[in-house]
Amino acid sequence: MKYILMMNATKANFDLYAKWSKEDLQRNVAFMRAFSKELKDSGVFVATEGLGWPNEAKTVRAGKDGEPITDGVFAESKEFLAGYWIIDVEGPEQAYKIAARASAAPGPGGTRGSMPIEVRQVLCGFADLGL
Amino acid sequence: MKYILLMNGTKPGVGTYQAWTKTDSDTHMGVLQRINKELSASGEFVATQGLAGPDEARVVRGQKNGVPVTDGVFPESKEFLLGYWIIDVETPDRAYAIASRISAAPGPGGVPTNMPIEVRQFASHTPKS
Repeated sequence: MKYILMMNATKANFDLYAKWSKEDLQRNVAFMRAFSKELKDSGVFVATEGLGWPNEAKTVRAGKDGEPITDGVFAESKEFLAGYWIIDVEGPEQAYKIAARASAAPGPGGTRGSMPIEVRQVLCGFADLGL
Repeated sequence: MKYILLMNGTKPGVGTYQAWTKTDSDTHMGVLQRINKELSASGEFVATQGLAGPDEARVVRGQKNGVPVTDGVFPESKEFLLGYWIIDVETPDRAYAIASRISAAPGPGGVPTNMPIEVRQFASHTPKS
């Protein structure tokens, strides 16, 4: 079963992260790299990506003539996807365990983090859509 | 440049979608499949996935002992990711044009849904704020 583990954050959260010291960032990134490598080594890794910052985000809707109407204004409470992992595991419990490890990624000063990780099952891919 | 097009929806929004007739949802999916085929043919397609409904969503936090704490309660306003496309395009405008086509996919009675599609670049392509 495929699951997606999502890190979501508000703009305020992103702003805090941007103020982390270089050392704190390096420690966090090193954890993320080691974590992804472990997932690969254990055979559950499917994909991971980090997304651009929320100030680059746009919402697009189709106009009447099909032209895109873009909007970059969001509610302050809006959660932006910061990054994700897709894993292929036996069941939800295994997905939750892996998510708990990502949640504990080190924060400023190397303190143990507890960021929320949203866990959702992935239903279908390109092949499942008959393509 | 790689972009991800995110289709987000609240629980009530998903409930509305689930109440569509089979004809309406088949027409809708048919249009999305055609867009996927076109993106594939133009070499812009990277990946697409649909996610399970919000009822299955859990937020997980780690504890000191490594045991995951799960929570399935969310604010009503919470936007859930319903599905996404990853595309590789030349310009942001092209990403917006593709997002617009997805936004225009037909809903009940063939009327375009005009649903909002969130367009984001991948981190490796944007400078830090």
